[in-house]
Amino acid sequence: MIEQHSTKGELAATPIEAQNLLSGPAVPPSKQQPEPLLRQFMGWYGIIGFLIIWQLAPMLGLCDPLFIPPPTTIGADALSLVSRGDLFIHAATSAQRALLGLVAALAVAIPLAIFLSGWLPRFTRFINPLLSLLASINPFALFPLFILLFGVGELAKFAIIFWSSLFPVLTATINGVGGVNPLLVKTAKSMGASRATIFRKVVIPASLPSLLVGLRMGATTAFLFLIAAEMLAANAGLGWLVHNSAMNNYIPRIYVGVVTIALMGLLLSFLIDRLEAVVLGYKEEVKTN
Amino acid sequence: MSTFKQESIFTNYFYKFGSLVLFIIVWQLACSIKLAPETFVASPLVIVKTFLKWAGNGFLVKHSLISLTRAFYGFILAVAVGVPLGFMLGGWFKNFESLISPLLRFLGQFNPFALFSVFMLLFGLGEFSKVAMIFWVSLWPILYNASLGVKSVEPLHIKLARSMGLTRISILWRIVIPSSAAFLFSGLRQASATAFFMLIPAEMLGASRGLGWMIINAQINYQIPQLYTGTALIVGFGLLIDTLFKFLEAKVVTWRQDTGL
Repeated sequence: MIEQHSTKGELAATPIEAQNLLSGPAVPPSKQQPEPLLRQFMGWYGIIGFLIIWQLAPMLGLCDPLFIPPPTTIGADALSLVSRGDLFIHAATSAQRALLGLVAALAVAIPLAIFLSGWLPRFTRFINPLLSLLASINPFALFPLFILLFGVGELAKFAIIFWSSLFPVLTATINGVGGVNPLLVKTAKSMGASRATIFRKVVIPASLPSLLVGLRMGATTAFLFLIAAEMLAANAGLGWLVHNSAMNNYIPRIYVGVVTIALMGLLLSFLIDRLEAVVLGYKEEVKTN
Repeated sequence: MSTFKQESIFTNYFYKFGSLVLFIIVWQLACSIKLAPETFVASPLVIVKTFLKWAGNGFLVKHSLISLTRAFYGFILAVAVGVPLGFMLGGWFKNFESLISPLLRFLGQFNPFALFSVFMLLFGLGEFSKVAMIFWVSLWPILYNASLGVKSVEPLHIKLARSMGLTRISILWRIVIPSSAAFLFSGLRQASATAFFMLIPAEMLGASRGLGWMIINAQINYQIPQLYTGTALIVGFGLLIDTLFKFLEAKVVTWRQDTGL
């Protein structure tokens, strides 16, 4: 009885082993169980350790506290900025600018890309080299030009963000719509679906993943260039906050600005992650090692 | 979009360069018939003329060399730090990696432009602050891809090599590095693009030589032809660097099949 059982066990183990050979390494047992509490918060320990070292180094005189102020000094300045409402105003100004440029870029790029690659595939192929050339232009190199053409007001900043986030979205969407499996479209067509239905039910869902990739890249670049634009010419916003503090040699505030910008970037990527999870809920997770 | 019919070379070239040629012709015409005001837009011919003038008097070589040297130093530093660190994080110190990777991810989020103020503060206005900034921006793609590359190595291959009695170093040299070469190179390519990319704003903010300084100086002095030529030059260098790394990648990672995407 016991022998029989063990043979059964061996037999049952064989397909799993075969599967492991096919699909690469076995999942280590530790990943199948819920991780112990200590390991779950491992990442936080790293950050906390970093903060402690940062706090101790200026206090022990390992680095100049004037140039690298300890986190407590930075935190105190951040608190005073928050309590006066200044930090919120700057963050809101920056967020508003970034959103405005990004939304405008999305509103132009997505319909344009869908129109181009859906209706005019030949023209898209013709125009693609020009688009990729324009996309490869360093937007920083265009800053002086934009300032020349649009002045130093809001319009120049809007133009910079619009331009820099337009191309990632445009390219990704063109690739996405162009890369829809023709079999899906043909199947839908042979089942008698109208153009509009094919478009709505096949093309759009199939190109959503690359559209979201475009959105993520667009949002990231928009935020990056927003800070740069605000440093060059603005009188409010997080980029200005950093630049102004640097000009006035108010060092803790530089760090406050830098950290706030990083936190907003993290928030942005978190929001896009959530959006991706909601929109692409039907997709299966690809398992990597 | 691919057709089974063999296309003639002419059609191929037409699709490859047609739009670019058309764009330049339209641009030139718009300038020639004064549709685009000369005070704002320089025509392609003027750009070529300025370019030739610069190439003649050594202005071009001087500023390009300075910019490229800066980008090169930052990039090499990032490679020297990022590749070993990424290998170590991805391969040997799993616990340490889970300890430190959220911190690294957070540090990677820092906007290099905002950080430039800090770099100037710490390293002064000299060459080093610019090299530090390029180091910083090119470090993350290299680090991330090196650790991804090591993780992508098939454990079976390593076990096999170990059972055949290979030493640690030859396992690293013969299995880990070739297996992760594709990732490494995509990291290097991203990093090289970013390095040149961020060099321009760094030079615009605090420099008195280099390509970034060239265009900001042209803007301040309202020299439209110089501004457009400098911009075109930066675009050209960016494309050149990208092509170079694509070429290197194709040479080194020969075994990788093209997925045709």
